[in-house]
Amino acid sequence: MRNKPDIDPEQAKQTILDYCRRKGALAAGVADLDALERIAPAGHRPSDIMPRVKSVIALGVGGQTQGAWTVPAKALGYFGSTETRAYTISYGLAFFIESKFGVRSIYCPPDMDNEAGPRVPLQSLKLHAELAGIGARSLAGDILLHPEFGYMYFASVFTELELPPDEPMADNPCPAPSCVDMYRKVGQTPCMKFCPVQCLSGTIDADGKQAEMNYDMAACAEMTQQYETVPAAIANALNADTPEAREDALFDPDNKMLWYKMSVGSGGLLAQCFECMRVCPIATKAPLADPILRHRAAQAEEA
Amino acid sequence: MARGLSRDQIGVTDSMVETFGEIIFHLSHNIQKRRGDPIRERDFEAVEAQRAELGLTDAEIAARIGLTETQVLYIRNREERRRFRTGHYHRLNELGGGRRFRADRFTPHMDHFKFSDDALELRAAMTFEPERVRHYVEAGFWRDDTLSGWLDRHADAAPDSPAIRTADTTIAFGALAEQVARLAGGLSRAGVRRGDVVGVQLPNIPEYLIAYLAIVRLGGVMTTVYMPYRAAEMETLLGHSRARAFICMTDAGGFAAAEAALSLKSALPALEAVIALGQPVPGAQSLADLMASEPAQPADMPVASDPFLLLYTSGTTDRPKAVPLSYHNMLGNARFGLAEHRIGADDLLLSAAPFGHLFGLYSVHLALAAGACSLLLPMFSPPALAGLIETARPTVLFTAPAHIAACLAGGLFDAHDIASLRLTIMSGSAVPADLARAFAARLGDGRVSQLWGMTETQAGLYTRPDDPIEIAAASAGRPSPGTEVRIAEEDELQVRGPLLFPGYFKNPEANRSAFSEDGWFRTGDTASIDEQGNVTITGRLKDIINRGGVKYNPRDIEELLDRHPKILQSAIVPVPDPVLGEKACCFAVATEGATPTLEELCAYLAEHDIAKHKLPERLELVADMPMTATRKIIKARLKPAGP
Repeated sequence: MRNKPDIDPEQAKQTILDYCRRKGALAAGVADLDALERIAPAGHRPSDIMPRVKSVIALGVGGQTQGAWTVPAKALGYFGSTETRAYTISYGLAFFIESKFGVRSIYCPPDMDNEAGPRVPLQSLKLHAELAGIGARSLAGDILLHPEFGYMYFASVFTELELPPDEPMADNPCPAPSCVDMYRKVGQTPCMKFCPVQCLSGTIDADGKQAEMNYDMAACAEMTQQYETVPAAIANALNADTPEAREDALFDPDNKMLWYKMSVGSGGLLAQCFECMRVCPIATKAPLADPILRHRAAQAEEA
Repeated sequence: MARGLSRDQIGVTDSMVETFGEIIFHLSHNIQKRRGDPIRERDFEAVEAQRAELGLTDAEIAARIGLTETQVLYIRNREERRRFRTGHYHRLNELGGGRRFRADRFTPHMDHFKFSDDALELRAAMTFEPERVRHYVEAGFWRDDTLSGWLDRHADAAPDSPAIRTADTTIAFGALAEQVARLAGGLSRAGVRRGDVVGVQLPNIPEYLIAYLAIVRLGGVMTTVYMPYRAAEMETLLGHSRARAFICMTDAGGFAAAEAALSLKSALPALEAVIALGQPVPGAQSLADLMASEPAQPADMPVASDPFLLLYTSGTTDRPKAVPLSYHNMLGNARFGLAEHRIGADDLLLSAAPFGHLFGLYSVHLALAAGACSLLLPMFSPPALAGLIETARPTVLFTAPAHIAACLAGGLFDAHDIASLRLTIMSGSAVPADLARAFAARLGDGRVSQLWGMTETQAGLYTRPDDPIEIAAASAGRPSPGTEVRIAEEDELQVRGPLLFPGYFKNPEANRSAFSEDGWFRTGDTASIDEQGNVTITGRLKDIINRGGVKYNPRDIEELLDRHPKILQSAIVPVPDPVLGEKACCFAVATEGATPTLEELCAYLAEHDIAKHKLPERLELVADMPMTATRKIIKARLKPAGP
């Protein structure tokens, strides 16, 4: 199905990107659908859930104050409504496209693949964003970074509206120059050194570019995906030798925190760590990484 | 289960999990490797070449190794679970406060310190009545006091103030804290860990206090062994307490204490280290070496609810009565005692009582509560005590009546200047009124105070410095702050309060009789209370003689006999009688050259209006009385020679 003749793809794209920024997205772009279809594994391609998809729009939100990166990680860990905000914008964008341009659109579900388990996404929002040019893979387990906005949460919209795709970033901001210096001295970048479970390793080439990134997601998940420990806690209780040990296994203060998080239904709150991002100079000190810096930049632009 | 299907339905066996777990895990997204930046560069060939390294989907793995997708999903899930270390997420709690995670700062939960079974058994014994505890906390009797906390506070605030003095040396609080930290490091090296019991048998020398403070800094528990004790008592006490280490002299006045302890190691499986002060002993560690260790920085400092003392009321029975004590019990009692005794940081406290006895330790607790200095008398002798008072000029003296009696008998308080003594606190046994008066008369402006306490209570009753000598000579005074007393059946003194121990350790039989049904501690002392609330100890319940149904306490008779010119010391005990059940037998140490008879003693007592039925009916002259380390007569050992 082609676009309606009165829709100019470039103009439509601009309208959509304006909408995204107006609603709070820091960055937005359109991924090359052909590339997506080639790279994503079978079952996880955009066409697998929307056969007539023509474009994939990726957007990123983010931003914490500088202070947020220094408060206890337990409190900082999850950015509260940030991730939700990304989904909200993309959800609204899907309606916006349908009402504005009269073509079918969907808000890309961020959820896991119900059949493959909680650590397998139905769609890779990271892949969408990377190909849309709003993030590049870092040495920190392929977390996407942006040279201006640092670390963002991403969301996507699939639409039957044909839009001209963006290019991926020309350069990867990771590793930052200071990280290269550190790597030259100690053989590790900050994210590698300070990972609590040492799930990151890699090499940087002579030009200061990423040569190899190694990520032990199993170790990372054990540290960060607390929902993984819920059945473990229950198994411990079942296997306890005494009633006291059984009670401890269930009502240990840390476990009680898990039950609390589950009871309030805050799935995202069950994933925490962020040490690699706390020590990342791009995530924390990119020129527009936090709201204050962005506000100042906007003021300067207006002036 | 995978996708709701059982293993039988998807055809997975244990051998399949074992066989394919490794390859499935490594092909999956769990282990990811990326070379270069192929996706950003849209280098599709490189993406394809690396696909397996970046992580395959279950379907891709299934196609690659020849299993069904569901089988791969099941095996991957099992493998992920198997490779997780349960509780790893606890590390999250180590991130915070702006700190960066450092592996060297973090101890995984499974590697964290665990109290030994012995330590847990002792901690389990620290059980108190919840309602009483609430009262103690709310009223401020139980706070966060610890000896380590007090020492650190003084070392910070007044590092140059004297903490310990002997006849020829002074250790300031700063230096004491340093030495304590070093020995704590040494004890840690010797295997002492939090909750472990460490026995100490030393005279009142600086090393005693340094050892005491080092043990408790590690969260350890000190058990004291009196200096006169030998191998038999050592074995009983160290065995019952399951002591991990024992600190003693190489040569304790002719007794090879360290060698004796080493010889007991096979009988004491918990005893790992014998630590000797003095000449090196093969097999023993050197206390001096341990004191030169790197300072210890315990990860967890002790807290007020921790047990830190395990004291024995008797070291000779096969069912020793061990008294576990927490900082809550002891240090609130000392903290409140400062104001009651009017002791301040400028005082110099001298204990004639050995630190092996709680009364001696009470002086240390008071000194540390106040930031005052402890003056040490290594081993009591009348000339040593009188001489030290004259030369070092202590302001507060803690002493047993027997110490004072010996000095008075030798005329030492006339020969030496004791005017520095502002307050003398007497305890440990009944204080004869005449003795208190005689000593007070030599003190000038100094005051005499009488204190009643037990290993189970520390300082339960005492007279205050302002009390006239008539009260201090005749009574043990009034309860210490927070302490409640009552006179129960048979005039027994009963006590409860924040100072009270929780019960004897590993001795349920003793505990059954030690407490009343409503939770008061049965002291075994008989007492009376006057209108002002002053408590007079009248004797021991078990000393009461039941002569044909007429019960009486022989203490007043013993006091009379002790004043008889032919008697040095007396003790009256019941002996079985086929007609009356019991009758009184008087054991006596005669003055030199004298041979008192039963008849003349009875005549003497009758002259002093002692009722006929209370007169002793048998006399046993002995050369010496069996005495406790705290100078109390052990009446249980007084047995008539014949029928």
